[in-house]
Amino acid sequence: MINGNRRMTNKPILEIKNLYAKAGDKEIIKNFNLTINEGEVHAIMGPNGAGKSTLSHVLTGKSGYEVTSGTVLFNGKDLLSMSVDERANEGLFLIMQYPVEIGGVAFMTFLKHALNAKRKYNKEPELDTMAFMKLIRGEAQKLDISQEMLKRAVNVGFSGGEKKRMETLQMAVLKPLLSILDEADSGLDIDALKVVSQGINDLRDGKRALLIITHHQDLLEHIVPDFVHVFSDGHIIKTGDKNLALELEAKGYNDFIKEAQC
Amino acid sequence: MLDFLENISLDYDDIPALVAIRQKGKLSFRGLPSKKTEAFKYTPVASVLTEDMFLQSEEKCDEEHCHCHESYFDFASYEFHFCNGRLHEHFHLEDGLEASSMLDAVTAHETSKYLNQTDWANFPFAALNTAYLEQGLFLRVSKKLDKPIAFIYHNKSKGFKNIRNVIVVEKGAKAELIEVFEGQNEPYFLNIVNEIFISKNAELTHCKLQKESNSAVHIALQSVHVKSQGKFESYTLQTGSKLARNETHVFLKEEGATALVNAAYHIKGLSLIDTTTDIEHISKETTSNQLIKGVVDEAAHGVFQGKIHIAPNAVQTEGYQLHKALLLSDDAAVDVKPELEIFADDVKCSHGATSGDLNQDELFYLCSRGISEKEARQILTSAFLNEAFEGIKNESLKTLFRIS
Repeated sequence: MINGNRRMTNKPILEIKNLYAKAGDKEIIKNFNLTINEGEVHAIMGPNGAGKSTLSHVLTGKSGYEVTSGTVLFNGKDLLSMSVDERANEGLFLIMQYPVEIGGVAFMTFLKHALNAKRKYNKEPELDTMAFMKLIRGEAQKLDISQEMLKRAVNVGFSGGEKKRMETLQMAVLKPLLSILDEADSGLDIDALKVVSQGINDLRDGKRALLIITHHQDLLEHIVPDFVHVFSDGHIIKTGDKNLALELEAKGYNDFIKEAQC
Repeated sequence: MLDFLENISLDYDDIPALVAIRQKGKLSFRGLPSKKTEAFKYTPVASVLTEDMFLQSEEKCDEEHCHCHESYFDFASYEFHFCNGRLHEHFHLEDGLEASSMLDAVTAHETSKYLNQTDWANFPFAALNTAYLEQGLFLRVSKKLDKPIAFIYHNKSKGFKNIRNVIVVEKGAKAELIEVFEGQNEPYFLNIVNEIFISKNAELTHCKLQKESNSAVHIALQSVHVKSQGKFESYTLQTGSKLARNETHVFLKEEGATALVNAAYHIKGLSLIDTTTDIEHISKETTSNQLIKGVVDEAAHGVFQGKIHIAPNAVQTEGYQLHKALLLSDDAAVDVKPELEIFADDVKCSHGATSGDLNQDELFYLCSRGISEKEARQILTSAFLNEAFEGIKNESLKTLFRIS
């Protein structure tokens, strides 16, 4: 029961082939392969410190990483040659574990810039303030985000859960093709994730895809993946369905990895 | 350089009161500052002054037909226009506001309580300003004004523009003043001194926008005297000129006097902007706050010299100062010289300075939402500068300082 009730078209959104990447001098991603099709939810799980986050950073184009070989196609286009903002405008969205606080930049101003950048990229007319406000108010209401929260600076003074809610609002407005939810290290906030998973589940329309990078099986109770991949030593060592996550949880990473390598 | 000064001839040398004041200025003037002058060691004013900047503008504008006279802000209640350093003398005033030209005020002996309240021996440009005293405004506010007063300085010609204003805010009165300096691309030297007197329970918010061309040299001194429970707030944004120094010297003279001196500068090219402050806590329970933010790009140069002086009997005072700079290129530079001189116990004081590039995580976050790097940099730079102006209460004034 991998596909659940959703119908999949098998049109690939993300195709990673033989990817190698370094952070500084250290090779972290080694011969990594993964294909994500429209509508699919994938989870990559692995022990702390295995370099899972490097993968999300390489995909979104954060500086400090070097791809030494391999290809990544996003919606058929060469992702690695695009700038960070082009990747976003093509439909890639990173939900950050610890979104940065940006004092002095009003959230609404920021989101209007982001939405209009995307509309401009897609050769659509930019939204004026009135139309934008109307759109945001509607989406914010669904996520239980108050007017007062919308008036603040980007992520400033929010709790972990509120930050996640604001990230989800951005995702709902920007409507990405592929969202990457990076919960790579141990600081997991279940309440925050319930909010995000609700937002993500609302976006599951059979087309939009999701990649979850996590250490915890708990997260996958809220967002049920179609595929679970175990990440070790820079690549995927085993792929299965959601039961693989339970198996991992029961055995622990170390035993599981040893077993898989035999 | 002193030769240039000798070329300047002075009018009105038949008014004894004026001649006496000028004489005082001449005696205080000991030449232009050099690199060895401590107060100007980062700001080589003499090296950028040229002969052109000391020409006297021949033509006096025809006030009736000068477009400078037209209304500049729709929100200001009283506007005073200076065209090439000369005050347009036609203004109509309402109750609670008294104004006259500096020349008239000096002739009528109204200024003796106010002019030259500081010994200018260590202020060469204020001494010079006094030696060439003629143009300027004497303004007295005696009630709470609802709308801001505006001083607009239009600079269209080369030469020397020497302006002296006295602003008196009487007991219990309240005013907002916006000064705007703008100019065409001509080499001129604008030397302005504002002597400001805030009486008991009075308040003045002083806003200043300096956006002159990069041929101009701008030297300004605010000398501010604050009495019991009086309040001075100052917000300065400088984006123009070849070299500009904005110096604010505040004397918190009586109990409960407060000062807020915030400033920002945003410069590129070869510009140099100097922000110098000196807050003297003379009496007990006085408070001062300073936040200065600078964005320096290309080969521009920012200077901040900030002094907080706490006199021996100024106990239970608070003085805070922070300078933050963003250096956006390898050639950009800032020199920062904070000084605390504390001669009293039981005070709270701090100073701090930071400089660096834009935060890379913030930049990445904005770009990861589809915003181009160029736009993201602009957003972050504006946010950085705008912090200095968050406290402006009048929304119309605040809008003028909003950088986008």
